[in-house]
This record gives sequence, structure tokens and C-alpha cells, in this order.
Amino acid sequence: MSLTAIAIESTQVGELISSRDEISPQLRVEAVVDQFFLARKLEALAIVEDHHVLGLALRGKIFATLFRRFGFELYGRSPILEIVDRTPLIVKASESLDATLEKAMKRSLADIYDEIVIVDDDDRYLGLLSVKGMVLAQGDALSQSLMQRELALSKAKEMQKVSEIKSDFIAHVTHELRSPTNVILGAAELMQLMVKEGNHAEMERYLGLLTIGAVNMRAIITNILDLSKIEAGKMEILAGPFELRDLLQEVAEMTRILLGGRAVTVVVEAEPRIFVADFVKVRQILVNLASNAAKFTEEGTISLGCEAVVDGIVLSVRDSGIGVRPEDLEKLFAAFSQVESAKTRQHQGTGLGLTISRQLVQLLGGTITVESTFGHGSTFKVFLPGNPTPQHPKD
Amino acid sequence: MLKKRILIVDDDKSQLSTTRALLELAGYEIKVHDTPFRTMEIIHTWQPHLVLLDINMPGLAGDRLCSLIRSNRRINTMVLLHSSNDENSLRLAVEEHGADGYVCKGDIAGLRRKVGELLLS
Repeated sequence: MSLTAIAIESTQVGELISSRDEISPQLRVEAVVDQFFLARKLEALAIVEDHHVLGLALRGKIFATLFRRFGFELYGRSPILEIVDRTPLIVKASESLDATLEKAMKRSLADIYDEIVIVDDDDRYLGLLSVKGMVLAQGDALSQSLMQRELALSKAKEMQKVSEIKSDFIAHVTHELRSPTNVILGAAELMQLMVKEGNHAEMERYLGLLTIGAVNMRAIITNILDLSKIEAGKMEILAGPFELRDLLQEVAEMTRILLGGRAVTVVVEAEPRIFVADFVKVRQILVNLASNAAKFTEEGTISLGCEAVVDGIVLSVRDSGIGVRPEDLEKLFAAFSQVESAKTRQHQGTGLGLTISRQLVQLLGGTITVESTFGHGSTFKVFLPGNPTPQHPKD
Repeated sequence: MLKKRILIVDDDKSQLSTTRALLELAGYEIKVHDTPFRTMEIIHTWQPHLVLLDINMPGLAGDRLCSLIRSNRRINTMVLLHSSNDENSLRLAVEEHGADGYVCKGDIAGLRRKVGELLLS
């Protein structure tokens, strides 16, 4: 890149030193981090011993190292020299600014804004030159084009990523919609055959299958719509009073349909209580948790509960299903996680239910937690703030 | 005449029960199995004429299972892949894993036709 257009040929870099701070190479990483935390504008510190520069500690790179997993535990107590750039760009104070900038810009994109170390003719440390500061301050053609290029580049990358996620999502969702669709198609065909034969008992069985397919399909569609509304920030809260036990009974009924003929008992453990909240969202949360329980429970009990606590209620969905391995618990609420890859995935479903449930719970100001014993079942608990009032039987 | 035997392997129980009913009505003897594991055992003992194999299953994907069936010289059952994956990928899977064909889930007429074609020959 040509720098001739910029009237900086005559300037010597020694005149532009932006900081003279320095630290010793033995200083611990944690102490350096403190310095960066306390001085928010501090971008870089030269590591100097006997006037000689041994390395350069850069705010961004150090934070990037430490905030990686276990970064702080690994490096926090080490001497700073261990984790810094030991070959920063070092330039003599007498050098011209344009020559220096040429050198600075030749660095890789990741290092291009790193501070430049300025030394005297005997290689003794003088101070740091901030490329970022210079580029920003000058606001000239160079900075403009460079920053625009970088901006355009990162924007393009971001767009690409978003579009990848979107097409992934669509592929996933359409695939998942096919499962219930195929069940509905199959059941409908069988119904027709049974109608011809006048076989009522079988007709009823296939009607049940058809309903399961439709219930599953509706749940997937509702979840997709909810997710897009949440992402667009268009989810409104419409609070009103409703009876909690009635809601749990309704969800229990749906759960029984989803279980088909499996030997699972669905019970509701709740007192009648009036609660003020967004009914549709609370129901959606419970429907998601209950259909999950139905999906993963082959025998035993699914229990839907409601308990009043100090400043709200705790809704719970407990199952005696397959449970979750401890290491998979934290992944549970991520979209499509379902913990295994698509081809060998354990169960049908978009894996969206829990993600959406959590987002809905957060929207209502509550929290969702899960406890699980692998092989023995899971309990999901949803806390919602509010003031439940016991409903007394009418006189 | 003895009925031709078909083993259906699919982890989706609703799918399993509709496919079973459809093929039973078409006059075949059916056994269903809801996990890829121990499929080989059943093939050995029951000796089906055809295995209808779902692809997306926990632990072991159906196309891999197909390769396993093919690599066993003592087994000469036919294999039809049965999946809601996209059709092009099914075509590739048939070639790659040596299946005798594929049927898209939901295509009931296609299921009857392809099963019929294979078991007639």
C-alpha cells in the first residue's frame, strides 16, 4: 500500500511516542491484568529489563489468552514474559513515520494494530507508538481504507456465518417436520384401508397415531414461530389470571396422548391456585418440558407439579426416563444440541424445545433448572415470579 | 405359499408401527426392531428376505449397518434404505453402502412398489 499521499514523510517516530509505561519481566500475569483493568485506556505495556525491551504485553491478546478455558488458572501466577509477544516490532526513534508505518502494515492482520516499540540508537527503550491511536487520530486515507477493508471483511464473514446457521437451521427443521408428516400420511392411509374393511378397532388405533403426529407437528411449528419472534424481539407479554392446576391437567392430557400405549402414568400434583402471568407462554413452557419427558420415558411416571414459594411459583416436570449424563447437562439448553449428531441422534425432535423454554422463562423474569440422574430420570423446575393465590372452593 | 419375511429397523416407534401395518396388509410377514443393535443377530436367526433400514438412528447409522450386513458373506438378505433424508443423499448412500435401493419415508405407494419388485425377483 502506498503511503505517499500522506504528509508524514518528514516526521520521526520518536516525536509520536504515546506512552512510556514499562513493567518488569518477572511481574505476575495477574498483576498485569489488574493494571489493564484499572486503566481502561491502557492498551500495551513494554516489558523492560536494564533498559532493554524483552517483549510487549498487549491488552487484547492477554485477555484473549486468559479468558479461554482455564486461561487464568494456567497462567495467572506465571511471570508475564511467558505469555507475551517476545518479538514486537522495534523501531529506532530516528526512523521516519512512513517507513515505520510501512513496516507496521506489513505485519499479519492479527498483529497490524499492535503497538510499536521505540528505542534509541543504543537500543534502549524509549516508549510505545500506538498504531491504532495514530490511525484513528489521523483519520486519513490510509486509516479509512484499512479500517473499511477490515470492517467489510469481518462483516462478510459474519454474514456468511449467519447464513450458514440459517441454512443449517432450515435443513434441520424441515427434516424434523418430515417425521410427524410421514406418520400422519401412513396413519391416514391405514385409516382408509380400515374404513374399507369396516375394522373400527384398528381405525381407532390409527386415529391415535394420527393425533400423535399432528400434536408433534404443531409443537415443532409453534417452537419455530416462537424462536423467530424471540429473535426479532417481537415477543409480547400478555399477563392475565389463570388457574394453574387446570393448566397442568391440560398438559397432562396432551402428555398421555404423546405416550401412546406406553406404560407410563402421568400425574398432577398441585393445589388449585390462581396465578397472573402470560398463560400462552407458561403453557408453551410446560408443553415443551412435558413432551420432552414423554419422548424420553419408556415406563414409570411423569409428574407435573406446582408449588408456591416466597415470591412466586415453581412448576416442575419430573420423569422416570433415561436421564442426562452430567457432562451433557450444560449443553441441554443450546439449540439443536440433543447431545448427539443428527445421523445417530437418540430421539426425534428439533431439540428446540428446551432452548425456547429457557428463552420464554427468561422473558417472564423466571429461571429454569434441571436435575438429572443418568438412567433414572430428570426433573425440570421453572421458577416464575408472582403472587399465587389459593383458590377456595366456591360456596 | 409361504409369506416373504421383512425385518423393519427404525428407532421411531410411530413410524415402525405404521410401516409394519402397511406391509402386513400387503401380505408380508413382518418383524420390527427399534434399535440398530442386535440387528445382525435377528437376521441370522430369522433370515428375512428383506431388511427395511432407517438411516438416522442412535449409536449406529442405518447406512453403516447396511455396510456391515453386506460385509457378512453368510447373509444374502436384500436391504432397502428407508429414510426422510433428502433423496440425493439416499441415492449416494445406496451406492456407497451397497443397498438394493431406497424408499423415501412418506412415499407409501413407492414403499409397496419397491418392496414388491425386490421380493418378486
